[in-house]
Amino acid sequence: MGSNTQRKKRVAVVIGAGAVKCAAALGLWKVLRREGIDIDMLVGCSGGSIYASVMALGDDPDTCERLTRELWTPKITLRRNWRSILGAILPQVFPFQGHVGMVHDGPLLDALHKPFGGRTFEQASIPLHIVATDMHDGEKVVVNQGSVLDAVRASIAIPYVWAPWKIGDRMLLDGSLSDPLPVDVAIREGADVILAMGFESPYPRRIKSATRFAFQVNSVYTNTLLRANYSFHNLAHHAEIIPVLPDFGGEIRLFDTDKFPHVIEQGMRATEAQLDYIKRVLEADDG
Amino acid sequence: MADDGRRRPRVAVVVGSGGMKCAAAVGMWKVLEREGIPVDLAIGCSGGSIYTAAMAMGMDVHLAEQYTHRMWGGLFKRVRYGSLLRSLLPRKLGMFHARLGLVDDRAVGKVMQELYGDTRFEDCRIPLRLAATDLHTGEPVELKSGRIADGVRASIAIPMILPPWPVGGRLLVDGGMSDPLPVSIAIREGADIILAMGFETPPNAQLDSMFGVALQCLSTTVNHMLRSTYAFYSAAHHAELVPLMPDFGQPIRMTDTHLIPHIIQRGEEAMEAELPYVRRLLEADLQRSPA
Amino acid sequence: MNIHIEPRGDIAVIAINGSIDGLTAEELLKTLQAHVQQGHDRLVVDLEGVAYTSSAGLRALLATVKETRRRGGDLRLARIQPNVRKVLELSGFVTILKVFAEVDEAVESYGA
Repeated sequence: MGSNTQRKKRVAVVIGAGAVKCAAALGLWKVLRREGIDIDMLVGCSGGSIYASVMALGDDPDTCERLTRELWTPKITLRRNWRSILGAILPQVFPFQGHVGMVHDGPLLDALHKPFGGRTFEQASIPLHIVATDMHDGEKVVVNQGSVLDAVRASIAIPYVWAPWKIGDRMLLDGSLSDPLPVDVAIREGADVILAMGFESPYPRRIKSATRFAFQVNSVYTNTLLRANYSFHNLAHHAEIIPVLPDFGGEIRLFDTDKFPHVIEQGMRATEAQLDYIKRVLEADDG
Repeated sequence: MADDGRRRPRVAVVVGSGGMKCAAAVGMWKVLEREGIPVDLAIGCSGGSIYTAAMAMGMDVHLAEQYTHRMWGGLFKRVRYGSLLRSLLPRKLGMFHARLGLVDDRAVGKVMQELYGDTRFEDCRIPLRLAATDLHTGEPVELKSGRIADGVRASIAIPMILPPWPVGGRLLVDGGMSDPLPVSIAIREGADIILAMGFETPPNAQLDSMFGVALQCLSTTVNHMLRSTYAFYSAAHHAELVPLMPDFGQPIRMTDTHLIPHIIQRGEEAMEAELPYVRRLLEADLQRSPA
Repeated sequence: MNIHIEPRGDIAVIAINGSIDGLTAEELLKTLQAHVQQGHDRLVVDLEGVAYTSSAGLRALLATVKETRRRGGDLRLARIQPNVRKVLELSGFVTILKVFAEVDEAVESYGA
């Protein structure tokens, strides 16, 4: 290694929005563990917050895989939230609650309870930071204390799907509205080497319905924001940002948990591709 | 062109997306003309493309001002609610096709014809570039040939407001979806001094309806995009990027056409504020400029 | 990483072999800057031999881009490998630089 005076480089893993695709982070983790590379901090946004959290709370990769696979079932979007829907469509008759969540979040909260119930940031063995968006001023909010379940619930509050979530006195929404791949959080917390695992939103092959069109429009905006933020932080900071971009070969849809092994495998491959450079950077002198 | 001597800095003007707020570009344009500041490249995106196209064509700025009133006043008067409703209903009640929108496309077509006729990019006095987005790939598309009317129409094809517009075999939409203030084009073309007029959308205090919430989510994302791309372009550009971001003092909605004179005035003020610095930049010797 | 420079008229074609990252950035920057300082400010960088880039590497490349532009020239890219292209797209480089499929195209793009 380097001289005695050289301090160890701090490694951060940032997992961006991407629902089931975020499981690729478990593949990344498997490779790092195998190579004896420690992770010094974890940052998660939206679906990525689930994986950042299970990894930070100290379970091994296989347990994490099981816990998160059990989470992603159609049950979490099954119950409609009729009060919210009616308030949105007929605000003169039903009170509009200031936000819309078409899906009742009861099943989601139950699903999150198993891995995260009663767990706090302070219990995490690796420092953890979760990103959400303030509903009123649109600013990015980093949650890194208190209840992990609250933070994850806020970070994945996709507009119109689940209602926003209150933490303290702020109403929080999906982190990807403000920052789908929050590398700057890692930079601010003093990371030297950042493994950034981001997933671009998919584009449906044919746009043949209004919902597909809306989905396409939403994907374009999210992907543009992802690149815009990444480009800036890439240039502006001294830290080395190493993009780990798995190639899944095809569309991975919201509940494709049967594709978990494939997703994790691709996460491993993408990490292996960068491994040589990662090791050299960690060993290199700071000069 | 390895000049040993001084070369005049190349000036580019970029006007980004911002709906009716883009009329502030008329104010900026008035000042540029009055001060005799040469513009070597005009770049427009979404609402901004309307004005940079007019400027590049050599339209008289006062005529552009008149057209502004007629255009925004007329454009959104006839909103096609039937179209919107059909898009929200299940598929079996009406065929979906990507080409629908709230505003009457034929009315827009007429305005485009009035403003730009058959003028082509190649006919422009000032080289013109318009920014659109490929609907299927999300990639930014730079338009620099063909009819200007087609270019502007593609650039302002905001989803749900105007249908996407086909150009060169691709279905194009609002340039703001991939690059709301396309300073990138100016950088790629080697411009030295870039005057960039962009518009942020202030957070909506009134989240009193589903529509309000939707707009809020969208403007949150777009504001972040704007800030990040701007910061990136600042860091990536070799010379000077001058921001012209007028402060309107109040939220401006599509229907506030009575605020147009105010908008234009603010645009003038924003340009005036940067004028001394721009003059100094024009006179500076670029080769000795610091990084 | 090694760098091979071939003049084509007053355009310099610079072929890079290896990876453009934090460890090779300094050498890359020194070589390119020296060449630019000799008055060669119209460059084409051939990336066919580059399989990997990182943020530190891109910052070095950009420093050279800015220097050429300050002098009235430019730096254009050719023959980018797919995985490198992914990174260049993510980091916004394809929006601020002119990119070509082949070296000849890139050279011709400088015109007269």
